[in-house]
Amino acid sequence: MKIKSQKDFWSGLMFIGSGLFFMVWAITHYQMGTAVRMGPAYFPAVLGGLLGVLGVFILAESVMMEPEGDKTLAIPFNIIDILIAVAIYVALGFGAHLIGFSADWAIIIGTLIIAVLTIMYRPNAKGLVLITAATVAYGYLMKPLGLVLATAALVFISAFGGHEFKWREVSVLYIILIVFSVLVFVKGLTLPFPLWPEYFS
Amino acid sequence: MEQILHNLVIGFGVAVTPIHLLYALIGCLLGTLIGVLPGIGPVATIAMLLPITFNLSPVAALIMLAGIYYGAQYGGSTTAILVNIPGESSSVVTCLDGYQMARQGRAGPALAVAALGSFFAGCVATLLIAVAAPPLAEVALKFGPAEYFSLMVFGLIAATVLAHGSLIKAIAMVVWGLLFGLVGTDVNSGVLRFTFGVPELSDGIGFVIVAMGMFGTAEIVANIEMKEHREIFTSKVKNLWPTKDDFKNCWASVLRGTALGSCLGILPGGGALLASFGAYSLEKKVSKHPEKFGKGAIEGVAAPESANNAGAQTSFIPMLTLGIPSNAVMALMIGALMIQGIAPGPQVMNEKPELFWGLIASMWVGNLMLVVLNLPLIGMWVKLLTVPYRYLYPSILVFMAIGVYSLSNNPFDVLIMGVFGVLGYICAKLECEPAPMILGFILGPLMEENLRRAMLLSRGDPTVFFTKPISAGFMIASIILLVIVALPAIRKKREEVFVEEG
Repeated sequence: MKIKSQKDFWSGLMFIGSGLFFMVWAITHYQMGTAVRMGPAYFPAVLGGLLGVLGVFILAESVMMEPEGDKTLAIPFNIIDILIAVAIYVALGFGAHLIGFSADWAIIIGTLIIAVLTIMYRPNAKGLVLITAATVAYGYLMKPLGLVLATAALVFISAFGGHEFKWREVSVLYIILIVFSVLVFVKGLTLPFPLWPEYFS
Repeated sequence: MEQILHNLVIGFGVAVTPIHLLYALIGCLLGTLIGVLPGIGPVATIAMLLPITFNLSPVAALIMLAGIYYGAQYGGSTTAILVNIPGESSSVVTCLDGYQMARQGRAGPALAVAALGSFFAGCVATLLIAVAAPPLAEVALKFGPAEYFSLMVFGLIAATVLAHGSLIKAIAMVVWGLLFGLVGTDVNSGVLRFTFGVPELSDGIGFVIVAMGMFGTAEIVANIEMKEHREIFTSKVKNLWPTKDDFKNCWASVLRGTALGSCLGILPGGGALLASFGAYSLEKKVSKHPEKFGKGAIEGVAAPESANNAGAQTSFIPMLTLGIPSNAVMALMIGALMIQGIAPGPQVMNEKPELFWGLIASMWVGNLMLVVLNLPLIGMWVKLLTVPYRYLYPSILVFMAIGVYSLSNNPFDVLIMGVFGVLGYICAKLECEPAPMILGFILGPLMEENLRRAMLLSRGDPTVFFTKPISAGFMIASIILLVIVALPAIRKKREEVFVEEG
């Protein structure tokens, strides 16, 4: 048996996996109820099963049907990379829990570790990972460091994910954006963002 | 007739107040501004700007969002004509002839015809909504849970049938979306579902966050991965006004586009995308010079642009009268209404006439503003296009991040956006369309609720969906749709329609 469409093959697996997960989790954790009085598990279990069946069809199609167009998959990372990333978060989360730190720090540190690992070992995934990392860092740095530094993290990390990175250009862009953010969002729309790290204020 | 006039008077009374005019203006400007940026479509634009409407009154928020929607659409055509990059999927066909016109130095007339055609289509569609919405809402008020459930099934099926690419994958994405929509507290039993002990998930996943991740982040990453290549005809945007011949050639196309677009827009899942593709094929078929298409025929710009604007507007009809979104943009609008504490549905028209008719009147006002403002401002939008993407995307990210963070000042929301961004990226690579998923996501809880009620009322008899006439009609229509699309001959045809873009 040969996989004729990698795109369909992996989509099929993705749908089967998540369908089964939703179905099994619903059945084992919530009440099914009856068709007259549906319990909280009923609808998700049915939908999960349906998703799984659809996944099987897609999977079958990927090995049987001759595909049209290019069906080779071009994702710059693989499923093991995703598992490693998840493992890093889980390990750091437990670590933070053990020494009594907030899980927020585990997320910030985990994100930065994954960003560095990506730059070193998966340079083609730089765009996706650094942009995601930049937004996540922004969210988690806002409370401890304030808008000015969180925005710096967002702008510099995300700009580093692009094709070219010039310190001067990005710095100018950052200054424009931070002035704009402060004027429009903090002064204008009065969003309750701290501007500076807690320590100073 | 009198009733319609009376309603429109109420509507314009609301829409033409200075404050609402201001919001419509801001909406149109912001929408165009972001719509012009390549690779950011209306869904991402609306998702991104949604948080700034939270502090407004419901009327003002909807007026502004509608303005953003038209603006984003309009901006999309501008980039299609000038840079050959469709700002959104419904202006893909505009690229074909619009860009060729620009290369021949006729960018001005192409932009003007697009704007005027859209305006005309907008006027017609606004009137159509005013006429068609009240009777439809009347019918919808009689809907019980069984009818609603079947209607949603029909809507979701129609949306997948009309989506791009593999049908079965689109259905899987809908089901996936429905499942994601169920995360959070179950309204009937109070049980927390799929929250895994995370307190932030007990209210469910915010649809704005999902939409921003799946569309916003994923689109930006896709753009960064592409090498930048843009050829812009900045210097050539002069003589804006089309010639007499241009008008003579395209007035019929505008009419045909408007008619087709208005019909297709009402269909669930149809909206602007199908309207513009359909209108282009139609023009090519009825034209005396089909060979001119693809080489700068003005009809090839006029028809799809009128059609997509008409479709964009009439897609408000099912949203306003039934509370059922027909496409991803309408799903966002419904989300916005719910955040404002308004349950979308047929009762809105009677309970909040100023909201309903104000929105309709403001559609017309918004369209007028776009023509009046944007034709003179084209030069400015063009300048914006010359800004390299490496400056644009960090700026877009700043807005997205602020928007998501300000939803509840909780970094967890930003994390979820990141997760859905990665998911959106993977889905794009696997050729799984995100739009059906967003529709499923917003309909998930509604569908479950109506299914439960229908089954309770029928004492567990599932045939109720086929014994009630209206419900049976929707169910049969869904089955017919599925069968038709599965037929090999039609399948080919459907693929052809979407291939035409290339």
